Amino acid sequence: MVQINFAQKQVNAKIVYYGPGMSGKTTNLEVVHQRAPTANRGDLTSISTDGDRTLFFDFMPLDLGTVAGMRTCFQIYTVPGQVYYNSTRKLVLQGVDGVVFVADSSASMVQENLESLKNLEQNLNEYGKSLATLPHIIQFNKRDLPDAMTVDELNQLLNSHGAPCFEAIANTGQGVFPTLKALAARVLETIHTGARPGTTGPQTAAALPAPLPAAAPAPAPAPVTAGSGTGYGQRPLHQTGYTQVAPGQAPASIPMHTRAPAPAPMPQPQQQQQQQQQQQQQQQAIPMQRPQQHGQPIDPNTRTSVHAPLGSAPVGMPMQPVQQQQIVRGHPMPAPMPMAGPSVGAPPNLQMRPAAPMPTSIPQAPRAQAPAPRGPAPARSPVPRPAQPRAAAPRITTTMPPKKKSFTTVMLVVAALVAGAVMAVAVLS
Amino acid sequence: MKTDEKLRNDRMVFYTADVQRFDGELDGFLELSGARSALLIDKEGHLVTRRGETVQTSLESISALIAGSFAATREMARLLGESHFSTLFHQGQRDSIQVSLVGEMALFATVFDGRTNLGLVRYYATETAQRLEGILGDMKARGGAPGGASDQLSSDFGQSASAALDKLF
Repeated sequence: MVQINFAQKQVNAKIVYYGPGMSGKTTNLEVVHQRAPTANRGDLTSISTDGDRTLFFDFMPLDLGTVAGMRTCFQIYTVPGQVYYNSTRKLVLQGVDGVVFVADSSASMVQENLESLKNLEQNLNEYGKSLATLPHIIQFNKRDLPDAMTVDELNQLLNSHGAPCFEAIANTGQGVFPTLKALAARVLETIHTGARPGTTGPQTAAALPAPLPAAAPAPAPAPVTAGSGTGYGQRPLHQTGYTQVAPGQAPASIPMHTRAPAPAPMPQPQQQQQQQQQQQQQQQAIPMQRPQQHGQPIDPNTRTSVHAPLGSAPVGMPMQPVQQQQIVRGHPMPAPMPMAGPSVGAPPNLQMRPAAPMPTSIPQAPRAQAPAPRGPAPARSPVPRPAQPRAAAPRITTTMPPKKKSFTTVMLVVAALVAGAVMAVAVLS
Repeated sequence: MKTDEKLRNDRMVFYTADVQRFDGELDGFLELSGARSALLIDKEGHLVTRRGETVQTSLESISALIAGSFAATREMARLLGESHFSTLFHQGQRDSIQVSLVGEMALFATVFDGRTNLGLVRYYATETAQRLEGILGDMKARGGAPGGASDQLSSDFGQSASAALDKLF
Protein backbone atom coordinates (compact mmCIF):
# COMPACT_ATOMS: atom_id res chain seq x y z
CA MET A 1 0.00 0.00 0.00
CA VAL A 2 1.47 3.28 -1.06
CA GLN A 3 2.20 5.62 1.79
CA ILE A 4 2.18 9.33 1.10
CA ASN A 5 3.59 11.26 4.04
CA PHE A 6 3.33 15.00 3.62
CA ALA A 7 5.02 15.69 6.93
CA GLN A 8 8.12 13.74 5.95
CA LYS A 9 7.72 14.80 2.31
CA GLN A 10 8.00 11.17 1.36
CA VAL A 11 6.27 8.63 -0.86
CA ASN A 12 6.84 4.93 -0.14
CA ALA A 13 5.85 2.00 -2.28
CA LYS A 14 6.38 -1.71 -1.85
CA ILE A 15 7.71 -3.96 -4.60
CA VAL A 16 7.98 -7.74 -4.24
CA TYR A 17 9.97 -10.20 -6.30
CA TYR A 18 7.98 -13.42 -6.51
CA GLY A 19 8.62 -16.73 -8.17
CA PRO A 20 9.54 -20.36 -7.65
CA GLY A 21 12.52 -21.41 -5.57
CA MET A 22 15.95 -20.82 -7.09
CA SER A 23 14.55 -18.76 -9.94
CA GLY A 24 16.82 -15.81 -9.15
CA LYS A 25 14.79 -13.40 -7.03
CA THR A 26 17.50 -12.76 -4.48
CA THR A 27 20.07 -12.54 -7.25
CA ASN A 28 18.01 -9.78 -8.84
CA LEU A 29 18.02 -7.86 -5.59
CA GLU A 30 21.72 -8.40 -5.06
CA VAL A 31 22.46 -7.01 -8.50
CA VAL A 32 20.32 -3.97 -7.82
CA HIS A 33 22.14 -3.47 -4.55
CA GLN A 34 25.56 -3.85 -6.13
CA ARG A 35 24.97 -1.58 -9.08
CA ALA A 36 22.65 1.11 -7.78
CA PRO A 37 24.32 4.38 -6.82
CA THR A 38 25.40 4.38 -3.21
CA ALA A 39 23.35 7.44 -2.44
CA ASN A 40 20.19 5.76 -3.63
CA ARG A 41 20.42 2.35 -2.07
CA GLY A 42 19.93 1.25 1.50
CA ASP A 43 21.24 -1.77 3.28
CA LEU A 44 20.39 -5.17 1.86
CA THR A 45 18.86 -7.18 4.67
CA SER A 46 18.52 -10.87 4.10
CA ILE A 47 16.80 -13.35 6.37
CA SER A 48 18.04 -16.60 4.94
CA THR A 49 19.14 -20.06 5.93
CA ASP A 50 22.73 -21.20 6.18
CA GLY A 51 22.43 -22.44 2.65
CA ASP A 52 21.56 -18.96 1.40
CA ARG A 53 17.96 -19.89 0.78
CA THR A 54 15.62 -17.08 1.66
CA LEU A 55 13.84 -17.93 4.90
CA PHE A 56 11.58 -14.92 5.36
CA PHE A 57 12.50 -12.17 2.95
CA ASP A 58 15.30 -10.07 1.53
CA PHE A 59 14.79 -6.37 1.80
CA MET A 60 16.38 -3.29 0.33
CA PRO A 61 15.16 0.29 0.21
CA LEU A 62 15.83 2.08 -3.04
CA ASP A 63 15.64 5.85 -3.01
CA LEU A 64 14.54 7.33 -6.29
CA GLY A 65 15.42 10.80 -5.10
CA THR A 66 13.24 13.83 -4.77
CA VAL A 67 10.34 13.74 -7.17
CA ALA A 68 8.26 16.90 -7.32
CA GLY A 69 9.30 17.81 -3.82
CA MET A 70 8.62 14.34 -2.40
CA ARG A 71 11.36 11.87 -1.55
CA THR A 72 10.24 8.73 -3.34
CA CYS A 73 11.36 5.36 -2.03
CA PHE A 74 10.74 1.80 -3.08
CA GLN A 75 10.90 -0.91 -0.45
CA ILE A 76 11.98 -3.94 -2.42
CA TYR A 77 11.34 -7.41 -1.02
CA THR A 78 11.87 -10.93 -2.19
CA VAL A 79 9.95 -13.93 -0.92
CA PRO A 80 11.08 -17.47 -0.17
CA GLY A 81 10.25 -19.51 -3.20
CA GLN A 82 9.92 -22.94 -1.65
CA VAL A 83 6.39 -24.25 -1.39
CA TYR A 84 6.97 -24.93 2.30
CA TYR A 85 7.19 -21.21 3.12
CA ASN A 86 3.84 -20.09 1.81
CA SER A 87 2.76 -18.50 5.07
CA THR A 88 5.79 -16.22 5.16
CA ARG A 89 5.42 -15.54 1.46
CA LYS A 90 1.90 -14.39 2.06
CA LEU A 91 3.03 -12.10 4.86
CA VAL A 92 5.51 -10.37 2.60
CA LEU A 93 2.80 -9.74 0.03
CA GLN A 94 0.78 -7.71 2.51
CA GLY A 95 0.38 -4.20 1.18
CA VAL A 96 2.29 -4.87 -2.03
CA ASP A 97 2.13 -2.20 -4.75
CA GLY A 98 3.87 -4.04 -7.54
CA VAL A 99 5.19 -7.52 -8.28
CA VAL A 100 8.03 -8.84 -10.40
CA PHE A 101 7.39 -12.48 -11.18
CA VAL A 102 10.76 -14.11 -11.79
CA ALA A 103 10.23 -17.20 -13.88
CA ASP A 104 12.84 -19.85 -14.52
CA SER A 105 13.18 -20.31 -18.27
CA SER A 106 14.26 -23.92 -17.98
CA ALA A 107 11.87 -26.38 -19.56
CA SER A 108 12.14 -28.56 -16.50
CA MET A 109 10.74 -25.75 -14.32
CA VAL A 110 7.47 -25.22 -16.14
CA GLN A 111 5.39 -26.81 -13.44
CA GLU A 112 7.12 -24.87 -10.67
CA ASN A 113 6.54 -21.62 -12.55
CA LEU A 114 2.88 -22.35 -13.01
CA GLU A 115 2.39 -23.38 -9.40
CA SER A 116 4.14 -20.30 -8.13
CA LEU A 117 2.08 -18.03 -10.36
CA LYS A 118 -1.09 -19.68 -9.17
CA ASN A 119 0.09 -19.33 -5.60
CA LEU A 120 0.76 -15.64 -6.19
CA GLU A 121 -2.75 -15.09 -7.45
CA GLN A 122 -4.22 -16.98 -4.50
CA ASN A 123 -2.22 -15.04 -1.96
CA LEU A 124 -3.09 -11.74 -3.60
CA ASN A 125 -6.75 -12.68 -3.55
CA GLU A 126 -6.53 -13.10 0.19
CA TYR A 127 -5.58 -9.45 0.41
CA GLY A 128 -8.34 -8.43 -1.95
CA LYS A 129 -5.97 -7.94 -4.86
CA SER A 130 -5.46 -9.61 -8.18
CA LEU A 131 -2.87 -9.74 -10.90
CA ALA A 132 -5.53 -8.36 -13.20
CA THR A 133 -5.30 -5.00 -11.45
CA LEU A 134 -1.95 -5.03 -9.66
CA PRO A 135 1.03 -3.60 -11.54
CA HIS A 136 3.30 -6.50 -12.33
CA ILE A 137 6.12 -7.50 -14.62
CA ILE A 138 7.23 -10.95 -15.69
CA GLN A 139 10.92 -11.66 -15.97
CA PHE A 140 12.09 -14.74 -17.85
CA ASN A 141 15.32 -15.43 -16.06
CA LYS A 142 18.16 -17.83 -16.84
CA ARG A 143 17.95 -17.25 -20.54
CA ASP A 144 21.43 -18.70 -20.88
CA LEU A 145 20.32 -22.21 -19.94
CA PRO A 146 20.59 -24.71 -22.78
CA ASP A 147 17.08 -26.00 -22.19
CA ALA A 148 15.48 -22.59 -21.92
CA MET A 149 12.03 -22.38 -23.43
CA THR A 150 11.31 -19.77 -26.02
CA VAL A 151 9.90 -16.45 -24.93
CA ASP A 152 6.71 -17.05 -26.84
CA GLU A 153 6.15 -20.34 -25.05
CA LEU A 154 6.78 -18.79 -21.67
CA ASN A 155 4.63 -15.83 -22.50
CA GLN A 156 1.79 -18.06 -23.48
CA LEU A 157 2.10 -20.10 -20.32
CA LEU A 158 2.69 -17.43 -17.74
CA ASN A 159 1.46 -14.11 -19.01
CA SER A 160 -2.27 -14.40 -19.11
CA HIS A 161 -2.73 -10.75 -18.10
CA GLY A 162 -0.54 -9.32 -20.81
CA ALA A 163 2.00 -7.80 -18.50
CA PRO A 164 5.31 -6.51 -19.85
CA CYS A 165 7.94 -9.22 -19.81
CA PHE A 166 11.71 -9.12 -19.90
CA GLU A 167 14.45 -11.60 -20.61
CA ALA A 168 17.19 -11.71 -18.03
CA ILE A 169 20.32 -13.46 -16.89
CA ALA A 170 20.30 -12.18 -13.36
CA ASN A 171 23.66 -13.51 -12.27
CA THR A 172 25.31 -11.38 -14.94
CA GLY A 173 23.00 -8.45 -14.28
CA GLN A 174 21.45 -8.59 -17.72
CA GLY A 175 17.82 -7.52 -17.72
CA VAL A 176 17.69 -6.76 -14.02
CA PHE A 177 17.41 -3.00 -14.19
CA PRO A 178 15.03 -2.82 -17.14
CA THR A 179 12.68 -5.09 -15.20
CA LEU A 180 12.81 -2.96 -12.09
CA LYS A 181 12.51 0.26 -14.02
CA ALA A 182 9.42 -0.96 -15.85
CA LEU A 183 7.71 -1.95 -12.63
CA ALA A 184 8.71 1.24 -10.85
CA ALA A 185 7.21 3.25 -13.68
CA ARG A 186 3.94 1.40 -13.46
CA VAL A 187 3.77 1.74 -9.69
CA LEU A 188 4.48 5.44 -9.87
CA GLU A 189 1.84 5.73 -12.51
CA THR A 190 -0.73 4.30 -10.14
CA ILE A 191 0.43 6.64 -7.39
CA HIS A 192 -0.03 9.63 -9.59
CA THR A 193 -3.17 8.83 -11.47
CA GLY A 194 -4.63 5.98 -9.54
CA ALA A 195 -5.36 4.42 -12.89
CA ARG A 196 -4.79 0.83 -13.73
CA PRO A 197 -1.75 0.45 -15.93
CA GLY A 198 -2.66 -0.58 -19.41
CA THR A 199 -2.55 -4.29 -19.99
CA THR A 200 -3.76 -4.56 -23.52
CA GLY A 201 -2.59 -7.97 -24.45
CA PRO A 202 0.71 -9.75 -24.25
CA GLN A 203 3.74 -7.69 -24.99
CA THR A 204 6.95 -8.92 -26.41
CA ALA A 205 9.77 -9.71 -24.10
CA ALA A 206 12.19 -6.94 -23.30
CA ALA A 207 9.75 -4.39 -24.58
CA LEU A 208 10.08 -1.29 -22.55
CA PRO A 209 6.83 -0.06 -21.18
CA ALA A 210 5.19 2.99 -22.52
CA PRO A 211 6.52 6.19 -21.03
CA LEU A 212 4.70 7.69 -18.17
CA PRO A 213 1.72 9.72 -19.23
CA ALA A 214 2.08 13.41 -19.58
CA ALA A 215 1.32 15.45 -16.57
CA ALA A 216 -2.32 15.25 -15.87
CA PRO A 217 -4.21 17.29 -13.36
CA ALA A 218 -3.23 15.79 -10.07
CA PRO A 219 -6.09 14.46 -8.10
CA ALA A 220 -6.51 15.75 -4.65
CA PRO A 221 -4.71 13.59 -2.15
CA ALA A 222 -6.85 10.72 -1.28
CA PRO A 223 -8.34 10.72 2.15
CA VAL A 224 -6.98 8.41 4.71
CA THR A 225 -8.74 5.36 3.57
CA ALA A 226 -6.06 2.90 4.37
CA GLY A 227 -8.10 1.46 7.13
CA SER A 228 -11.28 1.26 5.19
CA GLY A 229 -12.88 -2.01 5.81
CA THR A 230 -10.28 -3.03 8.28
CA GLY A 231 -11.03 -0.47 10.89
CA TYR A 232 -8.98 2.06 12.66
CA GLY A 233 -9.91 2.49 16.24
CA GLN A 234 -13.45 3.63 16.34
CA ARG A 235 -13.40 5.19 19.75
CA PRO A 236 -13.15 8.93 20.02
CA LEU A 237 -10.03 10.18 21.62
CA HIS A 238 -11.68 10.90 24.93
CA GLN A 239 -12.73 7.30 25.19
CA THR A 240 -9.38 5.75 24.72
CA GLY A 241 -9.17 4.78 28.32
CA TYR A 242 -6.44 7.19 29.19
CA THR A 243 -8.71 8.91 31.68
CA GLN A 244 -8.11 6.01 33.96
CA VAL A 245 -4.52 6.90 34.44
CA ALA A 246 -4.82 9.24 37.33
CA PRO A 247 -7.64 10.91 39.16
CA GLY A 248 -8.03 14.61 38.62
CA GLN A 249 -5.95 14.67 35.51
CA ALA A 250 -6.33 16.89 32.52
CA PRO A 251 -8.58 15.89 29.65
CA ALA A 252 -7.24 13.12 27.57
CA SER A 253 -6.88 15.20 24.45
CA ILE A 254 -3.96 17.03 25.98
CA PRO A 255 -0.70 15.36 25.09
CA MET A 256 0.69 13.27 27.87
CA HIS A 257 3.77 15.25 28.61
CA THR A 258 1.77 18.42 29.28
CA ARG A 259 -0.07 16.82 32.13
CA ALA A 260 1.10 15.82 35.51
CA PRO A 261 2.65 12.43 35.14
CA ALA A 262 0.43 9.65 36.14
CA PRO A 263 1.43 7.60 39.11
CA ALA A 264 3.80 5.28 37.47
CA PRO A 265 3.87 1.69 38.50
CA MET A 266 6.41 1.03 41.15
CA PRO A 267 9.63 0.41 39.31
CA GLN A 268 10.80 -2.98 40.25
CA PRO A 269 14.38 -4.01 40.35
CA GLN A 270 15.56 -5.21 37.03
CA GLN A 271 16.63 -8.55 38.38
CA GLN A 272 13.24 -9.25 39.86
CA GLN A 273 11.60 -8.48 36.57
CA GLN A 274 13.96 -10.70 34.74
CA GLN A 275 13.28 -13.46 37.22
CA GLN A 276 9.58 -13.05 36.67
CA GLN A 277 10.07 -13.09 32.95
CA GLN A 278 12.11 -16.23 33.19
CA GLN A 279 9.41 -17.86 35.24
CA GLN A 280 6.82 -16.78 32.70
CA GLN A 281 8.97 -18.08 29.92
CA GLN A 282 9.31 -21.37 31.73
CA GLN A 283 5.59 -21.54 32.14
CA GLN A 284 5.10 -20.82 28.48
CA ALA A 285 7.83 -23.13 27.38
CA ILE A 286 6.86 -26.15 29.37
CA PRO A 287 3.61 -26.92 27.61
CA MET A 288 5.48 -26.87 24.34
CA GLN A 289 7.82 -29.62 25.51
CA ARG A 290 7.11 -33.11 24.52
CA PRO A 291 6.15 -35.40 27.35
CA GLN A 292 9.16 -37.09 28.76
CA GLN A 293 9.45 -40.66 27.69
CA HIS A 294 11.17 -43.30 29.67
CA GLY A 295 14.73 -43.66 28.70
CA GLN A 296 14.96 -40.22 27.15
CA PRO A 297 17.36 -37.74 28.61
CA ILE A 298 15.70 -35.02 30.57
CA ASP A 299 17.15 -31.90 31.96
CA PRO A 300 18.20 -31.90 35.59
CA ASN A 301 15.35 -29.70 36.78
CA THR A 302 12.75 -31.89 35.25
CA ARG A 303 14.48 -34.95 36.51
CA THR A 304 14.38 -33.61 40.03
CA SER A 305 10.74 -32.78 39.76
CA VAL A 306 9.84 -36.11 38.26
CA HIS A 307 11.21 -38.16 41.11
CA ALA A 308 10.25 -35.84 43.90
CA PRO A 309 6.93 -36.25 45.63
CA LEU A 310 4.34 -33.78 44.55
CA GLY A 311 4.51 -31.61 47.57
CA SER A 312 8.21 -31.65 48.05
CA ALA A 313 9.26 -28.84 45.72
CA PRO A 314 11.88 -26.73 47.37
CA VAL A 315 10.96 -23.28 48.53
CA GLY A 316 11.35 -20.77 45.76
CA MET A 317 10.65 -23.32 43.09
CA PRO A 318 6.90 -23.31 42.83
CA MET A 319 5.54 -26.51 41.55
CA GLN A 320 3.53 -25.68 38.49
CA PRO A 321 0.41 -27.50 37.51
CA VAL A 322 1.90 -28.45 34.19
CA GLN A 323 4.88 -29.97 35.89
CA GLN A 324 2.61 -31.91 38.19
CA GLN A 325 0.87 -33.24 35.20
CA GLN A 326 4.14 -34.26 33.72
CA ILE A 327 5.13 -35.95 36.92
CA VAL A 328 2.05 -38.05 36.84
CA ARG A 329 2.57 -38.97 33.26
CA GLY A 330 6.22 -39.55 33.63
CA HIS A 331 6.19 -41.65 36.77
CA PRO A 332 7.92 -44.90 36.00
CA MET A 333 5.80 -47.11 38.24
CA PRO A 334 2.33 -46.80 39.61
CA ALA A 335 2.20 -46.09 43.28
CA PRO A 336 1.95 -49.28 45.31
CA MET A 337 -1.62 -49.96 46.26
CA PRO A 338 -2.92 -51.88 49.22
CA MET A 339 -5.15 -53.92 46.99
CA ALA A 340 -3.49 -57.20 46.46
CA GLY A 341 -3.93 -59.64 43.69
CA PRO A 342 -3.61 -63.36 44.09
CA SER A 343 -0.10 -63.36 42.89
CA VAL A 344 1.10 -60.03 44.21
CA GLY A 345 1.37 -59.59 47.92
CA ALA A 346 -1.39 -62.05 48.76
CA PRO A 347 -1.35 -63.23 52.33
CA PRO A 348 -0.29 -66.84 52.83
CA ASN A 349 -3.63 -67.82 54.31
CA LEU A 350 -5.40 -66.75 51.15
CA GLN A 351 -3.09 -68.89 49.12
CA MET A 352 -3.94 -71.86 51.30
CA ARG A 353 -7.64 -71.52 50.99
CA PRO A 354 -9.33 -73.14 48.02
CA ALA A 355 -10.20 -70.90 45.16
CA ALA A 356 -13.61 -72.35 44.61
CA PRO A 357 -15.33 -71.02 47.74
CA MET A 358 -15.16 -67.47 46.43
CA PRO A 359 -18.14 -67.22 44.16
CA THR A 360 -18.05 -64.75 41.33
CA SER A 361 -21.28 -63.21 42.47
CA ILE A 362 -19.89 -61.94 45.69
CA PRO A 363 -17.63 -59.21 44.67
CA GLN A 364 -19.78 -56.58 43.05
CA ALA A 365 -21.92 -55.38 45.91
CA PRO A 366 -19.50 -55.99 48.75
CA ARG A 367 -16.72 -54.38 46.80
CA ALA A 368 -18.69 -51.23 46.40
CA GLN A 369 -19.41 -51.11 50.09
CA ALA A 370 -16.07 -52.29 51.23
CA PRO A 371 -13.98 -49.48 52.62
CA ALA A 372 -11.11 -50.24 50.37
CA PRO A 373 -8.18 -48.38 51.80
CA ARG A 374 -6.84 -46.66 48.72
CA GLY A 375 -3.66 -44.76 48.62
CA PRO A 376 -2.93 -41.93 46.25
CA ALA A 377 -4.58 -42.01 42.89
CA PRO A 378 -2.96 -44.51 40.65
CA ALA A 379 -0.58 -43.06 38.20
CA ARG A 380 -1.97 -42.92 34.74
CA SER A 381 0.33 -44.34 32.22
CA PRO A 382 0.83 -42.25 29.10
CA VAL A 383 0.41 -45.43 27.12
CA PRO A 384 -3.20 -46.50 27.09
CA ARG A 385 -3.62 -49.76 28.74
CA PRO A 386 -5.21 -52.55 26.80
CA ALA A 387 -8.74 -53.32 27.81
CA GLN A 388 -9.09 -56.14 30.27
CA PRO A 389 -10.54 -59.22 28.68
CA ARG A 390 -13.82 -60.36 30.08
CA ALA A 391 -12.37 -63.73 30.97
CA ALA A 392 -10.29 -62.02 33.58
CA ALA A 393 -13.33 -60.64 35.39
CA PRO A 394 -13.31 -63.22 38.13
CA ARG A 395 -10.03 -61.88 39.26
CA ILE A 396 -11.90 -58.91 40.55
CA THR A 397 -12.82 -61.02 43.55
CA THR A 398 -9.34 -60.76 44.78
CA THR A 399 -9.87 -57.15 45.49
CA MET A 400 -11.70 -58.14 48.69
CA PRO A 401 -9.85 -57.11 51.82
CA PRO A 402 -7.90 -59.91 53.54
CA LYS A 403 -9.83 -59.57 56.78
CA LYS A 404 -13.10 -60.10 54.99
CA LYS A 405 -11.76 -63.19 53.29
CA SER A 406 -10.55 -64.66 56.54
CA PHE A 407 -13.88 -64.02 58.14
CA THR A 408 -15.68 -65.73 55.31
CA THR A 409 -13.39 -68.70 55.49
CA VAL A 410 -13.95 -69.05 59.21
CA MET A 411 -17.69 -68.82 58.75
CA LEU A 412 -17.59 -71.52 56.11
CA VAL A 413 -15.56 -73.79 58.33
CA VAL A 414 -17.90 -73.18 61.23
CA ALA A 415 -20.89 -73.86 59.01
CA ALA A 416 -19.30 -77.05 57.79
CA LEU A 417 -18.57 -78.15 61.36
CA VAL A 418 -22.10 -77.33 62.46
CA ALA A 419 -23.52 -79.17 59.49
CA GLY A 420 -21.29 -82.14 60.21
CA ALA A 421 -22.31 -82.10 63.84
CA VAL A 422 -25.97 -81.93 62.93
CA MET A 423 -25.55 -84.78 60.50
CA ALA A 424 -23.64 -86.81 63.11
CA VAL A 425 -26.36 -86.21 65.66
CA ALA A 426 -28.97 -87.21 63.14
CA VAL A 427 -27.07 -90.39 62.27
CA LEU A 428 -26.51 -91.25 65.88
CA SER A 429 -30.10 -90.64 66.74
CA MET B 1 -16.14 0.48 -6.25
CA LYS B 2 -14.44 0.90 -9.58
CA THR B 3 -10.96 -0.44 -9.96
CA ASP B 4 -9.43 2.98 -10.56
CA GLU B 5 -11.07 4.45 -7.53
CA LYS B 6 -10.04 1.48 -5.42
CA LEU B 7 -6.44 1.82 -6.48
CA ARG B 8 -6.51 5.53 -5.80
CA ASN B 9 -7.84 4.94 -2.33
CA ASP B 10 -5.60 1.97 -1.66
CA ARG B 11 -3.00 4.11 0.00
CA MET B 12 -2.21 5.70 3.31
CA VAL B 13 -1.95 9.46 3.36
CA PHE B 14 -0.55 11.22 6.39
CA TYR B 15 -1.04 14.95 6.43
CA THR B 16 1.27 17.30 8.25
CA ALA B 17 -1.25 18.20 10.95
CA ASP B 18 -1.86 14.54 11.72
CA VAL B 19 1.82 13.71 11.94
CA GLN B 20 2.28 16.66 14.27
CA ARG B 21 -0.28 15.12 16.56
CA PHE B 22 1.56 11.81 16.40
CA ASP B 23 4.81 13.59 17.20
CA GLY B 24 3.24 15.25 20.25
CA GLU B 25 2.15 11.91 21.61
CA LEU B 26 5.51 10.30 20.94
CA ASP B 27 7.35 13.19 22.61
CA GLY B 28 5.15 12.82 25.65
CA PHE B 29 5.77 9.12 25.75
CA LEU B 30 9.53 9.57 25.58
CA GLU B 31 9.48 12.14 28.34
CA LEU B 32 7.46 9.98 30.69
CA SER B 33 8.94 6.59 29.94
CA GLY B 34 12.59 7.50 29.55
CA ALA B 35 12.86 5.48 26.35
CA ARG B 36 15.44 6.38 23.74
CA SER B 37 13.43 6.45 20.58
CA ALA B 38 9.87 5.99 19.41
CA LEU B 39 8.75 5.01 15.93
CA LEU B 40 5.34 4.85 14.34
CA ILE B 41 5.32 2.36 11.48
CA ASP B 42 2.52 1.27 9.22
CA LYS B 43 1.79 -2.41 8.83
CA GLU B 44 3.62 -2.56 5.53
CA GLY B 45 6.83 -1.49 7.22
CA HIS B 46 6.91 2.13 6.09
CA LEU B 47 8.01 4.59 8.72
CA VAL B 48 5.40 7.24 9.51
CA THR B 49 7.31 9.30 12.03
CA ARG B 50 10.13 8.97 14.51
CA ARG B 51 11.02 10.89 17.65
CA GLY B 52 13.85 10.72 20.14
CA GLU B 53 17.45 9.76 19.67
CA THR B 54 18.74 8.67 16.32
CA VAL B 55 18.85 4.93 15.93
CA GLN B 56 22.22 3.86 14.62
CA THR B 57 20.87 1.90 11.71
CA SER B 58 18.78 2.26 8.62
CA LEU B 59 15.32 3.32 9.69
CA GLU B 60 13.82 1.77 6.58
CA SER B 61 15.40 -1.57 7.36
CA ILE B 62 14.43 -1.63 10.98
CA SER B 63 10.89 -0.56 10.15
CA ALA B 64 10.57 -3.32 7.59
CA LEU B 65 11.96 -5.89 9.99
CA ILE B 66 9.69 -4.80 12.81
CA ALA B 67 6.67 -5.03 10.54
CA GLY B 68 7.78 -8.42 9.26
CA SER B 69 8.42 -9.68 12.74
CA PHE B 70 5.04 -8.50 13.92
CA ALA B 71 3.33 -10.04 10.93
CA ALA B 72 4.99 -13.36 11.69
CA THR B 73 3.91 -13.08 15.31
CA ARG B 74 0.38 -12.43 14.21
CA GLU B 75 0.46 -15.58 12.15
CA MET B 76 1.70 -17.50 15.17
CA ALA B 77 -1.17 -16.06 17.19
CA ARG B 78 -3.61 -17.19 14.56
CA LEU B 79 -2.24 -20.71 14.68
CA LEU B 80 -2.76 -20.70 18.43
CA GLY B 81 -6.32 -19.48 18.07
CA GLU B 82 -5.62 -15.87 19.03
CA SER B 83 -6.58 -12.98 16.82
CA HIS B 84 -3.25 -11.30 17.44
CA PHE B 85 -0.57 -10.65 20.01
CA SER B 86 -0.85 -7.01 20.89
CA THR B 87 2.73 -6.52 22.01
CA LEU B 88 6.11 -7.83 21.02
CA PHE B 89 9.26 -7.49 23.07
CA HIS B 90 12.86 -8.12 22.12
CA GLN B 91 15.39 -7.86 24.91
CA GLY B 92 19.01 -7.17 24.19
CA GLN B 93 22.02 -6.70 26.40
CA ARG B 94 22.03 -2.96 25.89
CA ASP B 95 18.94 -1.96 23.93
CA SER B 96 15.52 -3.51 23.85
CA ILE B 97 12.56 -3.03 21.56
CA GLN B 98 8.93 -3.05 22.54
CA VAL B 99 6.35 -3.09 19.76
CA SER B 100 2.66 -2.39 20.32
CA LEU B 101 -0.16 -2.76 17.88
CA VAL B 102 -1.96 0.49 17.08
CA GLY B 103 -5.39 -0.28 15.76
CA GLU B 104 -5.32 -2.39 12.65
CA MET B 105 -2.93 -0.50 10.49
CA ALA B 106 0.05 0.71 12.47
CA LEU B 107 2.72 -0.33 14.91
CA PHE B 108 4.29 1.67 17.68
CA ALA B 109 7.88 0.65 18.34
CA THR B 110 10.08 2.00 21.09
CA VAL B 111 13.76 1.47 21.71
CA PHE B 112 14.99 1.77 25.27
CA ASP B 113 18.03 0.91 27.33
CA GLY B 114 18.98 0.49 30.98
CA ARG B 115 18.02 4.04 31.89
CA THR B 116 14.43 2.92 32.24
CA ASN B 117 12.72 -0.40 32.73
CA LEU B 118 10.33 -2.58 30.88
CA GLY B 119 7.39 -2.04 33.23
CA LEU B 120 7.49 1.70 32.83
CA VAL B 121 7.91 1.53 29.07
CA ARG B 122 5.17 -1.01 28.68
CA TYR B 123 2.78 0.97 30.84
CA TYR B 124 3.17 4.19 28.91
CA ALA B 125 3.42 2.41 25.57
CA THR B 126 -0.01 0.91 26.15
CA GLU B 127 -1.46 4.32 26.90
CA THR B 128 0.28 5.93 23.96
CA ALA B 129 -0.86 3.20 21.57
CA GLN B 130 -4.43 3.91 22.58
CA ARG B 131 -3.99 7.59 21.96
CA LEU B 132 -2.32 7.00 18.60
CA GLU B 133 -5.17 4.74 17.68
CA GLY B 134 -7.51 7.58 18.57
CA ILE B 135 -5.71 9.90 16.17
CA LEU B 136 -5.91 7.32 13.42
CA GLY B 137 -9.60 6.99 14.18
CA ASP B 138 -10.00 10.74 13.83
CA MET B 139 -8.22 10.64 10.50
CA LYS B 140 -10.47 7.93 9.24
CA ALA B 141 -13.61 9.61 10.50
CA ARG B 142 -12.58 12.86 8.89
CA GLY B 143 -12.08 11.10 5.57
CA GLY B 144 -9.79 13.67 3.95
CA ALA B 145 -7.29 16.38 4.51
CA PRO B 146 -7.63 18.37 7.71
CA GLY B 147 -9.20 21.78 7.38
CA GLY B 148 -6.95 24.30 5.72
CA ALA B 149 -4.37 21.75 4.74
CA SER B 150 -2.79 22.33 1.36
CA ASP B 151 -0.91 19.06 1.21
CA GLN B 152 -1.19 17.42 -2.17
CA LEU B 153 1.00 15.80 -4.73
CA SER B 154 2.42 18.15 -7.29
CA SER B 155 0.81 18.06 -10.69
CA ASP B 156 4.14 17.29 -12.31
CA PHE B 157 4.82 14.27 -10.11
CA GLY B 158 4.40 11.91 -13.05
CA GLN B 159 6.88 13.71 -15.27
CA SER B 160 9.36 14.14 -12.47
CA ALA B 161 9.09 10.47 -11.57
CA SER B 162 9.79 9.47 -15.14
CA ALA B 163 12.85 11.69 -15.27
CA ALA B 164 14.09 10.36 -11.95
CA LEU B 165 13.73 6.79 -13.17
CA ASP B 166 15.68 7.56 -16.31
CA LYS B 167 18.37 9.16 -14.23
CA LEU B 168 18.63 6.30 -11.76
CA PHE B 169 18.55 3.43 -14.25
